[in-house]
Amino acid sequence: MANIAAKRIKREFKEIMKSEEVIGGSIKLGLVNENWTELKGEIAGPVDTPYEGGTFLLEIKVPETYPFNPPKIRFLTKIWHPNVSSVTGAICLDILKDQWAAALTLRTVLLSLQALLSAGEPNDPQDAVVAKQFRENPRLFTMTARHWTNVYAGGPNIVHECNSKVQRMLDMGIDEHQARVALSSYDWDLERATEQLFG
Amino acid sequence: MAETSQARASPSAPGGDAGGEEDKHDERMLECNICLDTARDAVVSMCGHLFCWPCLHQWLETRPSRQVCPVCKAAISREKVIPLYGRGNTKQEDPRNKVPPRPAGQRTEPESTSGFPGFGFGEGFHMSFGIGAFPFGIFTSTFNFGDPRPSAAPRGTAQFEEEQFLSKIFLWVAILFVLWLVFA
Repeated sequence: MANIAAKRIKREFKEIMKSEEVIGGSIKLGLVNENWTELKGEIAGPVDTPYEGGTFLLEIKVPETYPFNPPKIRFLTKIWHPNVSSVTGAICLDILKDQWAAALTLRTVLLSLQALLSAGEPNDPQDAVVAKQFRENPRLFTMTARHWTNVYAGGPNIVHECNSKVQRMLDMGIDEHQARVALSSYDWDLERATEQLFG
Repeated sequence: MAETSQARASPSAPGGDAGGEEDKHDERMLECNICLDTARDAVVSMCGHLFCWPCLHQWLETRPSRQVCPVCKAAISREKVIPLYGRGNTKQEDPRNKVPPRPAGQRTEPESTSGFPGFGFGEGFHMSFGIGAFPFGIFTSTFNFGDPRPSAAPRGTAQFEEEQFLSKIFLWVAILFVLWLVFA
């Protein structure tokens, strides 16, 4: 890795460990390999959002041209959010693309991602299905996001309605995650979700 | 997965310095906003942000079409950064060999109140030189020593607009006069 990238990541790593967010437990950062080219981030779901109580793992890949180009980040934890792909975890956030600035750091990026969880932007979606639900059926969106947080991110809020519907599809012999995606995408309409999977 | 995600301060992190907290704070004031190291060949943008010149140069090269300050995203350009010259900043190893030299500082002579000191012409000496024989009179040279006239108003002010307007009027008067000379 280019010298400047490794040097800066080391420096950032040192500083982030002393930051109040890490001490307060709202963000975390860990190393994946010895070359400092890949790191693992973790953000806590913001309070008063469906993500509250969940912890979301992030894959952070540092390009050789860092900090002149942004780090490549995606969610490893499955999440139901209009700006994150529910399939790949890819993130749609301007500062990770054309609005990147070299003075941004992993700390500010992690905080921006946390802010993104608080304020989804359905008009610039990464996941069209989620964004449509976010706009047209906010109640179902919140329920779905809370359910995903509970199941995948260790959130404390159990959504019984979702669990029972997923269970019914499991009883039909459908894979659990596949069932959850189908139900989430079809506004928890059991009939349409089943139809889509078997049709 | 889970074990690497645990945030742990790494005591063996390289580059550790033994300075006191206060010293560290002072040093951070002079850190480049890109490499986070003490700025070398320091330049400062018009918006007041400090960078190493090699770092800022690379940033400007990375996105030639979108030249913005890496900190505040204000418009910046190579021409509009100011180099900082501290004392004893000449080291044997010159990193500028690798990148184009950082822009030079712009020096403006302090305004002299005693007019033109060399010749003692006093204040407000103007000299205009022109060859009057039309049509060659277009080649007119003008010398203004010590220039005691007020400098042009800054761009954007009402005075600037007025001055622009006036100079346009004078230009048209001059053109009409020349045309009259030709056709009369």
